[in-house]
Amino acid sequence: MLNYSAKNKDKWKPIFDQCIILMEETEIIKLAQEGDRKALAQIVKNYEQTIYNFAFKICRDKNKAEHIMQETFYSMVKSLHQFDGNSKLSTWLYKIVSNHCLMLARKMKSRPFVSLDDDEGLFEDKYAADWSTLPYKSTENDELKSILDDAIKKLSPDYRMIFILRDVEGLSTKETAGATELSVPAVKSRLHRARAFLRNELNKSFQK
Amino acid sequence: MNKDKVNCKDVMHHICESLGEDLNSYRCIAIKKHLEECSGCKSYFETVEITIDYYRKYNVKMPKDAHEKLMKFLHLDDCE
Repeated sequence: MLNYSAKNKDKWKPIFDQCIILMEETEIIKLAQEGDRKALAQIVKNYEQTIYNFAFKICRDKNKAEHIMQETFYSMVKSLHQFDGNSKLSTWLYKIVSNHCLMLARKMKSRPFVSLDDDEGLFEDKYAADWSTLPYKSTENDELKSILDDAIKKLSPDYRMIFILRDVEGLSTKETAGATELSVPAVKSRLHRARAFLRNELNKSFQK
Repeated sequence: MNKDKVNCKDVMHHICESLGEDLNSYRCIAIKKHLEECSGCKSYFETVEITIDYYRKYNVKMPKDAHEKLMKFLHLDDCE
């Protein structure tokens, strides 16, 4: 039996708070699906920063990120009636924004990306590096930002997507597979290659 | 493959594949043991973690006018 004593109150509070947020969100989604425009606007407000940030992390360009954000919410407004609540709204939105990012990347086709099909080279690198003395303690550092941007831009958007969804946004492997319409083994395979590639690129930059 | 013996390359593969996953499998235990003993792999493990952490903390704020433009684009600007 659940013991919600004063002693346990602090322990359970975050879980109760999360439940309330989810219940409120379910209610807002229902209202929006019934045509309540204020509820729709509220959903947009709740997720606009998340979607913008995600889009930026994929395309590394502020104008493109804003364009993708607009297209994502336009798609959401058009198809919200299809949302069945079987997944979290955020996961459903990640799926939409991922599609828009990939569509834009395919349209641009601006540069060749590194091939990670053969991962032999990824794991043959001199890996015994010590980063403990690096001056980069904060991602507010512009030099570090530039290193991070340059490294991830070399990855194809398919790999970027998996890395950002799983490692940066914190979706589970299963949710990432759902958002990208890939199998769980395919997600794992792309993820480990993307991680190794980025780590090696950073290592090369730090050794310069 | 010998399940008891793992080399550095096995460890690197496994680290990259399994970060954030269930680490209680038989093979994972062998990997963890190897990690404790091999400074090269331990260092690799730490640098992969730092790489992820850097990308996780690198966030951007939406431009100030982006919200207004978005609401207008969606014809929801009267719902503010």
